[in-house]
Amino acid sequence: MLEITLTKQESHTLIQLDGEVDASNSVELDQAIQEILAAGTKKILVDGSTLNYISSAGLGVFMSYLEDFQDKNIAFVIFGLNDKVQNVFHILGLDQLITIEANQHEALARIYGE
Amino acid sequence: MFRLPNIQLSKITVFLAILTWIGLLLVDLIRVFGTVNEIEVGLDSELTSILEIIFFILLYFFFSQSISRHQNDNFLHLIWRAASTGLIATGVAFSIVGLYVLMEDTALYSDPLLRNFFYHVNFALTSLFLISTALLWKHLILYQRNKGVVQQWQAFEIILLVSMFFMLFNKNNFYYGFFFGLTFLIIYSIILSANLKWIPYLTFKEKWKSILFLLIILICTVYLLLQIMDYNIKNPYIIDLIQNLFLLGLFAFVIIYSLFSLLVTLFNLPTSSVFEQKLVEAINFQRLSQSIQPGENEEQVLDILMDSCMSAAYVDGAWLEIMPKGFDPQEIVHQRFISDEERLDVRQIMGRTKPFSDHLGNEKNGKIEYIYGKIPHELYKSALVFPFRVNKKLLGNIFLVKEVKDGFNKEMINIISTFVGQASISVENYRLLNEAIVTERYKEELEIAQRVQRSLLPAELHYNNCFEIAGFSEAADEVGGDYYETYQFDSHNFALIIGDVSGKGTSAAFNMSQMKGIFHSLVQFGLPPKTFLIHANNALSRCLEKNHFITTTYYLLDTASKSIQFARAGHCPTLFYNAALGRSEFLKIKGMGLGMVRNQQYGNFIEEGMLSYAPRDVLVMYTDGIVEAKNQLSEEFGYDQLRIVLNQYNHLSAKEIKEVIIRKVYEFIGKETLPDDDYSLMVIKFIE
Repeated sequence: MLEITLTKQESHTLIQLDGEVDASNSVELDQAIQEILAAGTKKILVDGSTLNYISSAGLGVFMSYLEDFQDKNIAFVIFGLNDKVQNVFHILGLDQLITIEANQHEALARIYGE
Repeated sequence: MFRLPNIQLSKITVFLAILTWIGLLLVDLIRVFGTVNEIEVGLDSELTSILEIIFFILLYFFFSQSISRHQNDNFLHLIWRAASTGLIATGVAFSIVGLYVLMEDTALYSDPLLRNFFYHVNFALTSLFLISTALLWKHLILYQRNKGVVQQWQAFEIILLVSMFFMLFNKNNFYYGFFFGLTFLIIYSIILSANLKWIPYLTFKEKWKSILFLLIILICTVYLLLQIMDYNIKNPYIIDLIQNLFLLGLFAFVIIYSLFSLLVTLFNLPTSSVFEQKLVEAINFQRLSQSIQPGENEEQVLDILMDSCMSAAYVDGAWLEIMPKGFDPQEIVHQRFISDEERLDVRQIMGRTKPFSDHLGNEKNGKIEYIYGKIPHELYKSALVFPFRVNKKLLGNIFLVKEVKDGFNKEMINIISTFVGQASISVENYRLLNEAIVTERYKEELEIAQRVQRSLLPAELHYNNCFEIAGFSEAADEVGGDYYETYQFDSHNFALIIGDVSGKGTSAAFNMSQMKGIFHSLVQFGLPPKTFLIHANNALSRCLEKNHFITTTYYLLDTASKSIQFARAGHCPTLFYNAALGRSEFLKIKGMGLGMVRNQQYGNFIEEGMLSYAPRDVLVMYTDGIVEAKNQLSEEFGYDQLRIVLNQYNHLSAKEIKEVIIRKVYEFIGKETLPDDDYSLMVIKFIE
């Protein structure tokens, strides 16, 4: 089960992921990111504090947008991941491609500090 | 071969019949001669009777054969045969009369022998006509045969046979017996004449023709009867062949049946269109129920359905509204005999008029079978709407309109209801069949994918006497995405690989087979692990699907130097048991999944690792399915547990270690849980 909440704040958009991302609902995550890109935001924050699990399908979704983010100069930061999920990102090497911060405060600092 | 004897038989029969007739003629001529000239000729009336009987039987036989050969002709043809025979017999009789008129002033006019001769000619033709017609009537009566009717006819034939012999046997109570017999035959004929089931099957035109032919038959029969009775009355020396129950019985039968058929056909004329209509409806029903052929689609059935409904109720206009699917607009199809404006007009009016307005707006009501009522339109006065449902879902509505008020009666509505029902079944069957075909195809594809997947896993694992190796793989779905393999360079050098593709199922297997191909092409170059992965990443970046990536670890094992070189492309870190230290640990080196960085930067994310091993050390390679295996409480098996198990069982052989790890995992998830990812494992135990 997955619940995605999008909030537009100041000049960034916040994606809140609640639950688990697997093959059956990864397409929802894909659509959410599509919407945000279409809206033209330049800063995206992902709140993973209530994210329990993410499968390779979900990771593939993030992976597929990396080039887009780079091309369009979009800042993308994930924060609040629990140890297990963070470990998954680390083993895969995704943490070398995506910025991961510990909490919202540091994430915001990262996005607006640049 | 089968036909020849029949034709021979009938030829013989004809020959014998003619012979018999000639015999009869001669006998009778001699008798007349004897009577006229008062000479004893010694020929009895019995002889005449016997010859008559033989003649009748032969004719009966002949016509039985002849008609049964043509019994598949239609009714009209049969009746025409009777009529034509009658016309010939009548024609001949008539011409004989004509001849006598011409001969009036000659001596021949009153010659009894000549008269007798012509009498016998008339007699032969009349008998021929009567017997053949009676047998034709037999075919009509027995058209819809059941046991009762067949028995009735068989009894009739026996009675006729008996009546043939009547004059031989009953000389004393002649007139009473005769009268009784004739009355009996007349009544029986009337009973038989109730079998007129062939009449409704004639079309309107055919009925008119039958009436004509039957009239001809009636007239001929009556004429022949009168003619032959006339002979009897006018000529004292005639041998009476007529006072024969059989012949008179036949006269009665032919006349009665013809009369009844004529009257019934005549009175069936106004209603014949109803029967034809029913036949058409039955045929339409059969067309609707024929399963839709492959290559056709549902349109065919809808087409036939509209045609059938229209003809069943003689409608003046019709159309079918298809319910909008998703964002498609409402479709109007199969519009017949009504223009677009008129249709929209009528539709609008219907939207405002009860009972239509209640239900047309409220399509969800699945219980309404049809809606019928008047509409206040200038041209169309009554309308019938039938919802067309497939699998309980409303596909559309059929609209039928007529220019007359109360144009649809109960009969029509019933018939249309059966048509709609049958069409709905046909469409349902067609859709189910398609689904079944798709499922069948899916199963076939799955089988192919399974064969692919089985080919992904190695048939045998390479090793030498310096180490033991054991492998295990179990797919979650029918097809898995895990892969491992070994390669032997020479007696001391091996390559090992284990991999996991993102996702599972058929597409995962296909992605993984690309990896296998890449492994086999690159391994032969003996590249260092990091270089191997960079090349593999280059290749996969071009052929792997966009959202997909592959994790893998590649090892080069040298049993001579007891060293392992390895690189980790985002795969689960290898577990290594160090016997000297007495504990196991994960080999953590920097890595990045294949296909995640599809450019030259990839190499920057990979570290190459090197380790030396000693005898009794153990290497465990696995995929994330094992460490992420969940039990009923959604707890994961975890890296720590794997490490603990290895610590505990490191002393066993490679095969045993593999088995114990698998057992522990299955025990952990419990019997009730189904694995939701593929499990793969490769264990190496170093001996020397």
